[in-house]
Amino acid sequence: MSVQKIVLVEDDEVLSKVMYTELTDAGFEVSQAFDGEAGLELIRSKRPDLVLLDLIMPKKGGFEVLGELKKDPSTKDIPVILLTLLGEDEDIKKGLRLGANDYLVKSSHAVAEIIEKIKTFFSKESHPEGDQPKI
Amino acid sequence: MKLGLSEIDYRSLFDNMIDGLAYCKMIFDADGLPADFIYITVNENFEKLTGLKEAEGKKVTELIPGIRASNSELFEIYGKVSLTGKPEKFETYVQPLGRWFSISVYSPKKNFFVAVFQNITDRKEIEKDLESAKTAARNVLKDLEIEKKKIAETSAKEEAILAGIADGCIAVNEKGEIILINQTAQKMLGYTQEESIGKLWHEILHREDESGNPISPEKGAIRAALSTTTTTTTTTTTTTSSFYLRKDRTKFPISRTVSPIILEGKVIGAVNIFRDITREKEIDREKSEFVSLASHQLRTPLTGIEWTIELFSKKEKLTEEGRKYLDYIHYSAVRLSNLIKLLLNVSRIESSSMSVVSKPLDLVELINENMREHQALCDRGKISFIFSKHPQKLIATTDKNLIGYIIQNLVSNAINYTPTGGKVEMLLEEKKDSLQFRVQDTGIGIPKKEQEHIFKKFARASNASIVKPDGTGLGLYIASEAAKLLGGKIWFESDEGKGSTFFVQLPLMSPDRAGNKELVLEPK
Repeated sequence: MSVQKIVLVEDDEVLSKVMYTELTDAGFEVSQAFDGEAGLELIRSKRPDLVLLDLIMPKKGGFEVLGELKKDPSTKDIPVILLTLLGEDEDIKKGLRLGANDYLVKSSHAVAEIIEKIKTFFSKESHPEGDQPKI
Repeated sequence: MKLGLSEIDYRSLFDNMIDGLAYCKMIFDADGLPADFIYITVNENFEKLTGLKEAEGKKVTELIPGIRASNSELFEIYGKVSLTGKPEKFETYVQPLGRWFSISVYSPKKNFFVAVFQNITDRKEIEKDLESAKTAARNVLKDLEIEKKKIAETSAKEEAILAGIADGCIAVNEKGEIILINQTAQKMLGYTQEESIGKLWHEILHREDESGNPISPEKGAIRAALSTTTTTTTTTTTTTSSFYLRKDRTKFPISRTVSPIILEGKVIGAVNIFRDITREKEIDREKSEFVSLASHQLRTPLTGIEWTIELFSKKEKLTEEGRKYLDYIHYSAVRLSNLIKLLLNVSRIESSSMSVVSKPLDLVELINENMREHQALCDRGKISFIFSKHPQKLIATTDKNLIGYIIQNLVSNAINYTPTGGKVEMLLEEKKDSLQFRVQDTGIGIPKKEQEHIFKKFARASNASIVKPDGTGLGLYIASEAAKLLGGKIWFESDEGKGSTFFVQLPLMSPDRAGNKELVLEPK
């Protein structure tokens, strides 16, 4: 199995660096963007297997980035996990409605838990429900 | 021609006249002042009209003792007439006889006089009654005028008050016709008094919901007030967002209170008091924006600290000392994080924009979930935590977040303030239209004199500050505010050194402030 590519769009430098370190350690290939516009560009050029997308960011917010990704046929199938800070219901509902696959709450999870969730996400992706496991 | 009347003829004339007649001689004293008079002759009617018998030859002072004192004018007039010969006519009341007389007097020769008189006592009585009746009527009129003035003053006062209040006020009669609209209401709505009075309220008051849909007057509080059938006053306060349309079709957000006007158990109208809450809504919005921004700004670097600590302790080889210091940092970061979470909750609860979203949920499951979250804390303190008495299931329509705040704060308090080896017990039961749960502990209790302040913001009992110096004093405040928002109440019993029991009672159906319902306040 080839190395899975992740684009991390997160404006807070410390949070981004910590996640980058942990994701790289976990074996993922990670590219970072620190605002919405740069993120969109990076996603279009990298075509990652997963986007981790913060919501409140300069230049372009997460919802806007998500909307544009889903509008574009070439990017609409790339899975997106939202990074919310406080896990506000409103935000989560809006994100899922816009087509996000899942969400993570940064302030209430340890980094280790977040990495675990991302791993779980990929394992589900490769064995979608209903598929027979390959021999 | 000479008329020949005999003395007998004269006598018969004299005796048959209706009036009384007396022929008298005046007696003067040494100073020439009239002192008495003698009846020389009287006619038959004299006795009938005066009640005096056998008067002829007697002095008046003998016949009517006290007459000098009561009727001195009689002597003066008779004296004057018998001296001057000039006739007089007068009315007088003779008190010793208790009778009124109309008297005409003339003098046939000096020192003599003739008094012809009628008894007018009956006429005088009637006159007196008439006078009393007139006086009574005048008094009644005067009273009426005073009352009228009082009413005018009261209504002027009421009008001044109504005109002066900053809230709009519209009153309708039982048919729903506007009978009063104060100046503030006229200004807010853009209708004049002339345009409003006599109209049905919904011809002037057009209400819309948040999305601009008209709200039917049949669903409104004025219709409800007019349809009130009970004899108690039920006041309806609209807490959901609604708007009134002005005459020019622009709109403004309102909060309002509608009360029926009840007279002798019958609804005779309704009063609608309303306020333009544009400014309040603006402040609310600014406040909640500030809170969410501030909490976001604070939480981001804090999460950075927590994650870095996590990474640091995993990746770096630390000395025992170093690990201890890192633990301190971590502990402080967690505390800071909890504090921000609490402040955010306080702010959310205090902001009236906090929507209460009520959905059916199982309280038993919610409490079990909460107990699992607190298990580690209980194990650490060797505290037994049991959900001792509860139904299989208890479904309530309530706000999960708010009820969560209540359970979370009461349970963590109970555990935190119960010494090692103690016991925390949870009980839940369904009552008529409400649910009640209890959190009972064998903890340090709340000192008697501090009990009344314990639900206040930042309040901490003195013994609690010793056991747990880093408490915030926000938990019980949040719990009680949340209970209020859900339309319930919270109270406790506590013995210092023995333990506390907190009781929470909530309606099975909490008001939903996101929906378009109207909250009915308790009858006054």
